[in-house]
Amino acid sequence: MTPLERHDHDIAKAIRLVQLGLALMAVSLLGACVSTPMRPLAAINQQLEQSGGNRDPSLGGRWLALIRGRDGRERIELVDLDQNRPVPLPGLNRPDAQPLNVSVDAAGERMALIRQRDGRTELALYRRSRENLQPLPLEPPGVPRQVKLSADGRVLAVQVSRGGLWQVDLIELP
Amino acid sequence: MIERQGRSTVLLQERISGRVLPLRHLSRWQPHSSPSLSWRGRYLALIVQRGDRRLAVIEDRLTNRLVPLPLPGGLEPVRLSLAPDGQRLALQLVAAGRWQVELFDLGGILEIDPPAGEVLRTPAVAPP
Repeated sequence: MTPLERHDHDIAKAIRLVQLGLALMAVSLLGACVSTPMRPLAAINQQLEQSGGNRDPSLGGRWLALIRGRDGRERIELVDLDQNRPVPLPGLNRPDAQPLNVSVDAAGERMALIRQRDGRTELALYRRSRENLQPLPLEPPGVPRQVKLSADGRVLAVQVSRGGLWQVDLIELP
Repeated sequence: MIERQGRSTVLLQERISGRVLPLRHLSRWQPHSSPSLSWRGRYLALIVQRGDRRLAVIEDRLTNRLVPLPLPGGLEPVRLSLAPDGQRLALQLVAAGRWQVELFDLGGILEIDPPAGEVLRTPAVAPP
């Protein structure tokens, strides 16, 4: 191979390496941001669709809490996804209360909720095994809007309006 | 969520230390809404704005991967909730002029994020 041929050969080799590097970089970028189709859970989705409008879902393990509208009224429901059916929530829904937001823990035992009653917006905790709804006062007072219960049911994050500002309160539960 | 340059932006903060944790992929797609974390915070699911459309995405903080979750039929998410183990996603959508909640299986997309302290083992193999 002449020196000129060797030079051309080296350049071609360098170009191939650069091309390989660019291809690897493109594959790596694609790998970091892949669009993936989700598989709908057909049986439960069909049941939810047939039962009217639903909003504010909260997933905890095998439990789905949501607010379901039916006959012009809204109520909180808890669906057992293993059994594909709602479970009873005695003492939770009241005809004079409008639920605004709900969150469930991974055991399906505790549900935190925000509701409007007598012109007031209140935060409360429902314990399913005790069939008990306990109001949770905010300190300092504010108007709760959204609530998230940690998966272990021990910590509550509440979005609160105070003096025209949104704040997030963390509340540890016994 | 915090306001950053006038746009709602998700902020991930460790509760015990107060440390703000980096989110690598989300700064371009504001405003953000409806954040939801898995058990140990490996996955953060939320709704982002991509152009003129809303899109559900999940940031995998362990592998530094962003998983966009487009919906069929041009539907757009309004709210979401990720199951603590990362294996299911609930989306609130608008369909036929009313709110609708739909569930999706993420088992083929995400690994399980188990609760802290759970012992993980490979399956037992019988001796030859």
